[in-house]
Order: sequence, then structure tokens, then C-alpha cells
Amino acid sequence: MSQSNRLAAGGLIDRASSIGFTFDGRRYAGHPGDTLASALLANGVKLVGRSFKYHRPRGVLTAGSEEPNALVELRSGARREPNAKATVAELYDGLEATSQNRWPSLAFDLMAVNQLASPVFVAGFYYKTFMWPAKFWEKLYEPMIRRAAGLGRLSGEADPDSYEKITAHCDVLVIGSGPAGLAAALAAGRSGARVILAEEDFALGGRLNSDRRLIGDKTSAAWAAEAVAELESLPEVTVLRRTPVVGVYDDGVYAALERVSDHMREPGAHQPRQRLWRIVAKRSVLAAGALERPIPFGGNDTPGVMLASAVRTYLNRFGVAPGKRAVVYANNDDAAATIADLAAAGCEVVAVVDARGDAPALHAAARAARASLVFGGAIARAYGGRSLKGCEIVDGRGGGFKVACDLIAVSGGWNPSIQLTTHLSARPVWDDRLAAFLPGARPVGMEVAGAAEGAYGLGDALAAGFRAGAAAAEACGFAAGAVDVPATDQEPGDTHGRGPWRSPVKRGKAFVDFQNDVTVSDVELAAREGFKSVEHLKRYTTLGMATDQGRTSNVLGLALMAEITGRSIPETGITAARAPFTPVAIGALAGAHRHKEFRPTRLPPSHFWAEEQGAVFTETGQWMRAAYFPRPGEKDWFESAVREVTTVRTAVGVYDASTLGKIDIQGADAGVFLDRVYVNAFSSLAVGKARYGLMLREDGVAMDDGTTTRLGETHYYMTTTTANAGGVMRHLELCKQWLWPELDVHFSSVTDQWAQYAIAGPRSREVVAALVDEGFDVSNEALPYMGARELTVCGGVKARLFRLSFSGELAYELAVPARYGDAMIRAIIKAGEPFGICPYGAEALAIMRIEKGHAAGPELNGNTTAADLGMGKMLSKKKDFIGRTMSGREAFLDPERPSLVGFRPVDRSARLRSGAHFVPRGETPSAANDQGYMTSTAYSPSNGHWIGLGFLARGPERMGEIVRAYDPVRGGDVEVEVVSPVFVDPEGARLRG
Amino acid sequence: MAETLVARSALRAHVAPPAAPAGAPGFTLREVPDLTLASVAALKGREAELAEAVRAAYGLDLPQGPKRVASGPVAFVGAGPGKWLAVSSAATDFSALPAAVADQSDGRSAFRLAGPKARETLATLIQVDLHPRAFGAGDVALTHAASIAVTLWQLDDEPSYEILMFRTYAATLWRWIVEAGRSRGVEARLAG
Amino acid sequence: MRIACPFCGPRGVDEFAYLGDATVKRPNADAPDALPAFVEYVYLRDNPAGLHRELWQHALGCQSWLVVTRNVRTHVIDQVEAARDVAAARSSEAE
Repeated sequence: MSQSNRLAAGGLIDRASSIGFTFDGRRYAGHPGDTLASALLANGVKLVGRSFKYHRPRGVLTAGSEEPNALVELRSGARREPNAKATVAELYDGLEATSQNRWPSLAFDLMAVNQLASPVFVAGFYYKTFMWPAKFWEKLYEPMIRRAAGLGRLSGEADPDSYEKITAHCDVLVIGSGPAGLAAALAAGRSGARVILAEEDFALGGRLNSDRRLIGDKTSAAWAAEAVAELESLPEVTVLRRTPVVGVYDDGVYAALERVSDHMREPGAHQPRQRLWRIVAKRSVLAAGALERPIPFGGNDTPGVMLASAVRTYLNRFGVAPGKRAVVYANNDDAAATIADLAAAGCEVVAVVDARGDAPALHAAARAARASLVFGGAIARAYGGRSLKGCEIVDGRGGGFKVACDLIAVSGGWNPSIQLTTHLSARPVWDDRLAAFLPGARPVGMEVAGAAEGAYGLGDALAAGFRAGAAAAEACGFAAGAVDVPATDQEPGDTHGRGPWRSPVKRGKAFVDFQNDVTVSDVELAAREGFKSVEHLKRYTTLGMATDQGRTSNVLGLALMAEITGRSIPETGITAARAPFTPVAIGALAGAHRHKEFRPTRLPPSHFWAEEQGAVFTETGQWMRAAYFPRPGEKDWFESAVREVTTVRTAVGVYDASTLGKIDIQGADAGVFLDRVYVNAFSSLAVGKARYGLMLREDGVAMDDGTTTRLGETHYYMTTTTANAGGVMRHLELCKQWLWPELDVHFSSVTDQWAQYAIAGPRSREVVAALVDEGFDVSNEALPYMGARELTVCGGVKARLFRLSFSGELAYELAVPARYGDAMIRAIIKAGEPFGICPYGAEALAIMRIEKGHAAGPELNGNTTAADLGMGKMLSKKKDFIGRTMSGREAFLDPERPSLVGFRPVDRSARLRSGAHFVPRGETPSAANDQGYMTSTAYSPSNGHWIGLGFLARGPERMGEIVRAYDPVRGGDVEVEVVSPVFVDPEGARLRG
Repeated sequence: MAETLVARSALRAHVAPPAAPAGAPGFTLREVPDLTLASVAALKGREAELAEAVRAAYGLDLPQGPKRVASGPVAFVGAGPGKWLAVSSAATDFSALPAAVADQSDGRSAFRLAGPKARETLATLIQVDLHPRAFGAGDVALTHAASIAVTLWQLDDEPSYEILMFRTYAATLWRWIVEAGRSRGVEARLAG
Repeated sequence: MRIACPFCGPRGVDEFAYLGDATVKRPNADAPDALPAFVEYVYLRDNPAGLHRELWQHALGCQSWLVVTRNVRTHVIDQVEAARDVAAARSSEAE
């Protein structure tokens, strides 16, 4: 367990404590403050993964979330997480990591033979190779590709951890904690503004921790630590570590993902694994920094090839030497610091290859490090397979030589991290001087500071950060005051990397997109085959489409395409970045709302009682409704429901109708208002009476129905269907506020205020009489059908009693304040016992309403008119109402329109199914012969056979005719007789009795 | 005559579990029982009459906007343009007010959250800014808690809050608050 | 997107329900050309690339219907008015 590559001193790691971890089952040690990548490198492990298509050995390229290569599976069992970046995975004691996409082992991967077949796997291979025959795709090609190509494996088990969502508001959101971000947060925080500083890393400071710079008389890392300490002392500053900002939305809304417990073996008690922040910020400062670009050359994916800036991070932040003999390959001056840092750490820099003709900064650094220097040169090829052994260098004058090395540090210039500026569709702007895309139009309220806007120098970044932070705070009304920008040491020189974009020598595979195995040749091939636009390039080669979203490859691929096609980069274009900035687990988006807590559950007042009765529940929207109440010996819902129907039709039953929408309507114009929203009149309804009402949409289609009772001169009580309660309320408010603001009418939802029980059956009056207090008469004379009155029950509880019937029997609906709902149902059952009462559920109700031909959801289906429903005569001629004019449109008056009738099977033992289409007897089932459809069916205990409701062309004129109910989906083809939709008590004698 | 009916809460332990913190509570969660509630809407042309009646009966100026004013057991909560929620911790008859008045005493359930972690816990469910600079005692928010419509107000700077929801959602919202509160030391106890 | 409800203040779009075009006005049902006028009212919509007036309701808030003037290309909201005020002003203009 030796950390052979750990430097003797330095770095932001806790050397005093050692923590153990495993990689592919082997034990290693690291320190707190390490990433998995830095700890592996410290232990001399360079081979970390296999590539996506070719299974080539891969190592660590970067030191951040842009990493395309070092992807591993973390943990095991249900907590296994695929495609985790070793470069951001924080080391913890007992961390388990496994390499992925290799078989049988990382070192010996049989699938690497894919390389030999690489002509098959070139750009566009999906489109070309496996096109024909189509049936081979599913059976042969896809499984084959899936086995050969791919990334990590999902655990296949339920995620045992929890996730949380939280909202935070602030004046200033600072994204990134490098020099510009810390400066911005300090400037804004000191003003007293509410500041959130979000940093994706677990350490704050960005490149201040990666580079050996001086700010004033402090090292840059020490300055960062002091800045963080000050920020954390400010009461209105929130510092979020391990929290990438992943999305920018309209009006200052940002999404950020806090990895609360990803750096632990498992979350602490009650702690979520991740927390998704919705941040509402008046202003934001994007200080996301910049990412270094590689320069492609043959074998540039060999483990040991690394970005020059990442080399510095491993040396300075983690105290790890990623190699002992290094070659530096650069096209700008930034690598001077890498050369110096390698030398300072005791590593040998054998050669410095400057792709440019002359570069004094690199010249000086190379000389100081005693490295040989090649101007205008290139690396022709790296070799070594699983671990870098050396490279071939060409000098630009035709000469070349081989050097042995175990590290190649590559520096191709910088790409500002501007992705978050483009989430609202703004396009970046190419800057020739910087050779980089800079932010175009900023999202409203966002400023960009530091390297993210091309200010790469440390002093410039600090100054820009302080300026942007102060400006943001001032825009929110805080006095930020003047800031002394601290002095910094010598800046590195020209770090812009204006090319060359690749090694001119073509030898071996030169990778542009490491994660998706896209090479320079693939880009050339795409250009040859005409996929020259950047959008085509991306889709044809998959460049930039992997989990790293092409952070290290997009601009490079674009620059190469520009070079190949002889166009400028702006002419070639850029693909837009969209949210999320880094991958986000679906669990984090759901937060706590998953499984049964996916949405709220509404419990009607009888719920706990129904549970005690052993009711089986069904979900209706958010409601839990009792579907049926099984009794011992009943083997399924059907038996229970049939028994419940029979009880209601012969004795008495009780049903919790509280889920119906209930709306209290008051005001001098309440009657007039109802006249306008219902097809029929309500201003003429007598006080103490209820009436069935039908509402249309303005296009003439039925919207909802229910009964409305007039409780007083200016007071009504409306019920709606359970499903449409919210929609009806919205509609009424729209009519009131927008269409007729002059009316005096007011609504209050009282759905939850009243527990409302339907008591139905020939014995229902006796049950009700036993419940109402003395002095209240519930006889047919005192309370006739469609009558309503306010009274008290059970010794003084205020109640409303309605003589309404959905079942078709003599029936009442009794409403009491919801706090009494539980006691009320118990009292009803007790009072009903002598009469044989049983509770009935939604299944029995559904059967009874079909037996009575009442329209419900399947009939009010968004296609049907009042006339279709057989209620054309209800349409008032005396008044305007919503949907009146459009009810008269030509198509709705067509006599061939299907309208509501009943059906019964000619063979009485046959089962009917809703969804069947009606075809004339003897005709071929075809669209041309389609005459309508069945909407609702049930076995009718009252009739002893199946019955159905449906819409049939000229239906009411065709009573007694026999048609085919044709149901090809379920193989049904039944002859049915057209009958009245009312199958029980067509005269309505029972409900009036 | 039938036996008298017992009033019951919408909560039962198996759907609204109580919770006890390991250490000192970060906040407490309780149901506020027996509130008298009524929705009150000003009738057209009688807005001044209503304001005068409220002033005369309760000594309160009807708030304009999302605010809560209170005097003794009675409070009025702004619930929309020309709409209020009348609240009382005592038996109060609001029906005589010259307005469209609908009893909501059984239509809503109310919880009180009090303690230093109440604000952060609410932030996991509610998107309104509850920072003291933005929301203080007497402020009201008509909003939603993870899709459940709620009326929220702050009572004092402890801070303590009262949150009202439609009664049939009470069990779900209790569960969600307790779930979010577990890592924040919720002490949740059902009445009785 | 956030919408500044005149009663409640700025809130996230998830509290609001969208209906549609606020520029159409319900025709007089008693006019002789009522049917074609209603066809236009119910179905025919302009689709401007820029500012549009739309009906939204603060459904998970104070229930106010709002007329939101919004740039449908950028989502920038110019103005939010209570629908009842817009409707009242419109009917008093018409008189």
C-alpha cells in the first residue's frame, strides 16, 4: 500500500490521516482531500478504464468534471453508481471503485479486438453498417453493440437513498469559487447582500489551489482559504460545496445539485444523498473559469497523457507526481508553469515541444528545467499501450526522435466555461485573439467574470470578480463600496493557444472526443461525406454527446472541421449547451416525491372507518376511494359489487360522496351567473330545491355535470364530478373575473368542509329518519325528490339533507361538517342495521349509474354535445350561456351524429366491453361502416346480464335494432340490441317514492 | 334518537406519523385544533360596509394584500382581491358579516411549526422567500407546498408559522413535513 | 419563468395555469352573425412572434386570473394585470 507517487510535502490533503479504498478489488491508501483519481495516481495506478467503442486503455486526462476517460463504478449493491468521474469522486474511507466497460478484466480486455474492426466502428457506423435487413437490428446488431460498446452498469435495484429539493432566494448567486468567484462573493457579501456561492468541487478556490501563485504576500491557496473563512463568517452568505449549478432558467431561476452524501459510504441518518436547489437570484456572477484543451496526436489517449493544467493540480493540490519523466506539448505559454512545477516537484522534464515557432516563456521554463526544447514541433505518436512508455517527437524540419517518458502534459489553450450563458438560447461569440468562444448575450441579471469571459490572468480575474460582485450587490440596493484588488505576481504570458489544433503527423488514432472514441479521422470522414455543419458533425460522429458533453472536445472538433473545410470557426458554428451542465440523477429531480408520495393523497372523511371495514381502495385522481367492501367468502370485486348493488336495490346502502366537488356560490347575481354557465336555468329554481345541471365548453362540447341546490335567495350549493372539481372552479373564476366582472357572485370551495353520504335504497327514508333530530320531517311530502333542507342530526350537528339519487333508488345525500364525517358514517351504519344496510363502493356505484343511463367520465369525454348525451332539450332558448351558440354549428346538428343509447347482448350470456365500435349487422367492419362506439359496460345484477351505454348514429330512432359491437383489439364481436339507456325503473317511480 | 357525533381530526398516527428528535428539537409540529374559519368575500358595492362591520365587531382594519391582522382570538387574512379568511381560536360566528361568508372550519386543517429549523424545513416544500428580510410576522403567502395549495403565515420571530391546507390533504402534508424535518430535528406530536 | 401576481407578488410559473389568448372577446350571442363570430372567438388565433397578451390564473395562489403581456420568443414579461381590471376597462370603453 505504498503511495509511490506521493510527493514528500505540499497539497491540500490531510497527510496525518490515511484512508483505505479499493479499485477493482485491490486495496490502496490515500488521504482526506484526495479525489479517487489523485489517490490512484499517488499509488501509481494509471490504467483506470476502457474506452466506449474500442475498449482502449484509458487513464486520467483532467482533474475536474470535464473528465472524459476516468469513469468508474462507485460502491456496490443497490448504491452502485455508474460513470462516476474519478477526478471529482471524493475519497472516503472504504470507497469501492470498479473499472467499467471491460471484459474479463481491465488489464486484459478481450473486447479490445474491436480496435481491429475499427473500420466498422468509424463515424456514422450506426447509420451505415447495420441498416439492412431491418429485423436484424433488434435481434443481432443492437445486442452485439450493447455488449461491445457502453459505459457503466446500473445496479438494477431500487435506490435505497433519499433525495431532497429546496428553494433558496438570494440577491447575488456566485457560480464558481476560483479567484473571480471568491472575489465576487467577497464584494457582494461584505455589502450585506444575501449571497449564495456555489462550487462544484469539495474544495473552494478553483485554480487558486492548483497553481503556485502569490496574492499579496500569500500563496494563492492561502488567500483562498482566508477568503472562504471570511465568507463563512458573514451571516447572509451561504457557501455550497459539492454543488454544481446545472441549469439557468428564465427570470433568475437556477438549478444546483448539492452532492450531500456522495463523499460518504452511505448518507448519515435522515440525510439525503443529493439535494436539488432551486435558487431564485436577483443577480448572478458566473465565474466558472475555463478548461484546457488537448492537442490530438496519435496515441494521445495512452494512460499518462494528461492536460498540463491537470498536472499542476495533481502536483500542487494533491501532492502527487503523475509521472517521473515528462514531455510537455503546448501551443501557448501556460505550460511554462507546468514545466516549473514539475521541476520543483523533482520530476524530470525531458522535452518541451512547442507547436509554435518561437516562445520565450516556454524557452525560459524549459531551460530552467534543463529540458530539451523543440520549436515548431509536434508529438507524432505516443506509445506504451496500458501505460505510457514514450513518444516520437518531430521537430518541424523533417527530423524526429523518440524519448522515453511516463507523462505527457498537453496544453492547447483554454475554453471559457460559458455553458450556463447559453441555457436560455443565447449564442456564444468567437474571439480570434483569445481563440475561444466567449459569452454572447448574458441571461438577464447575469454577469460573467474571470476566465469564463476570457480574463485568464489571475490579477484580471480577481479585479473582474470584485467588480462584478460589487455591481451585482449595488443593483440589489446594497452599497458595495470600493475594493482594493490585491496585487499578484507575474502573469504567465500568452496563454491563448491559437493553434495548431492538432499534431500534423497522422500516425495511429488521434482522439478528439475521448469518451465517445471520436478521432481526427472521424472528423475528416464526416467532412468528406458532407456532414460539415457542426450539428451534422455532432450527430454523425457523436462528438460531444457523451456524459462529459464534450467539455474537452467540442471546440476542438469544431476547429478541426473549420480547418478541414477551409472555413472560419464562426462560419462552422457552435452547438448550444443545454441544461443540465453535469449529469443529474432522476432521483434528485423527483426529490422526496416518489413511490406513493409521488403526489398527494386525499383521504375522504370515511377513510379510516373504511379501512377498518377492510375496504379495497381505488385511486381517483388524488382521492383514495373505497372500491368495494368485501365480505368473508366473496372471491373477487365482482361478487362484492353485485352484492352491494343488490342490497341498495332491495334494502339500503351508504356511499361516501364527499369526493364530489362542492362549491358555495353567493351574491346578488348568483342565479344569473348560473344561468350563464349551465345550459339550463337556475335563477328560476325555488329555494330548497336541487336541479341537475349540464355545463358546456364554449365550443359546445359537454364539460361537466352535477346538481346545484338553492339554499337561499342569493345562495347556491353546486356539486361537480370528482375529476373535474378543480377545472370547474377555474372555469367559474374565469367567467366571473374575465367575462362578467360586473356580476356580484362569489365562490368558495367547500369540498373538504362537508362529509357527504349518499344513503340509497327503498329503506333509506327509515335510516334518515332515525338520524335527524326531532322536529324535522323527512317524509315524501316534506322533502320530495330534488328537495333540500338544512337541519340537525344526532343531537344538534348542523347538516344539509338532499333528496338526490344517482342510483335510481329512493335516496338522500346527507352532509355534515367534515370533523363529524367519521362519526356520521358509523352512526348511519348503526341506524341502518335494522334495515340491512351495507356500505357500497365506487364499483357498485358505477354499475348502478350505468343501469340508470347516467352519463359519467366515459360519456363526458370531450367529444360529446348535450344533444349527443340525449339532453338537447335541456338547452335553454331564453338565455345565452357558455356553449350555446356553438351548439348550433352544422356538424353538431348532423342527424348522423352518434348519440347516447343503451345496449344489451342478443345472446344474454355474452359479455360487453367498452371501446367496441358499432357496425350495421352484415356489414364489414371498416371505418366507413363505423356508426359509433361503446363507452360504458357493466354486468347488471338487476337485469341479470351485461348492459352497455354508447353513442350510435341515429341511436334513439333505432330502438330494437340489432348491430354488431366489434372490438378487434380484444377479439370481441357481439350482436347487441339497441335499447333505452335506462335499464332500471325507466319511469323513475322509485326515486320519487 | 341517534347518539351524538364525536368531532375527529383528519390525522391518525398510521397516515400522519409522529416523530421525536434525537437531541433538542429543531422545530415542533402540531395540529392547531378547533379553529373557526370562514371565507369572506366583499359583495359588490358593499366593500366599505364590510370593512366598517369588521372594524366595529373586531377592532380590525381589513388587510389589503397578503397580510394577517389579529386582535384577541380573531384574525383576518388576505386571501385575494376582495377576499379574506376569517380565523378565530374561539367559537366565533362570522356569518352575520355583510359579505359572502362560507364556513370553512371543517374545510381546512391547520398546523403550527415553531423553532429555528422551521424556515429551512418549509423551504423544502414551499418556494416563497421566507427570509426575515422578505417575510415576517403578519405576512401571508397563498402558495403551494409541493403542489398542495396552502395558506401560510408567520406568527412571530421564533419563528413560528401556521399553515392551512384543505382538510383531505392534511395527512399527506403532515407526512411531507415530518419527512423533511427528520434531518432537522422535528418533534411532531398528534393531539390526544 | 416567474410571474408577478399583482396581489401575491412574483411567483414561479408552477403556481400558474395557462389558458391562452387574452385578445379575443366573447361575441354577442344575440347578434345575427353570432355563429361565425363565435367560430372566430373559439378557434382562430394569431401567433405573434413577440409580445402577446395571455390569460393565466394564479391557480395555486389567490385564484386571480391575469392578463400577462409576454414576449413569447424571450419569455420576458412586460406587464401583468388583473383580468377583472382589464375586463372592466374594456367594457367601460365599449359603452
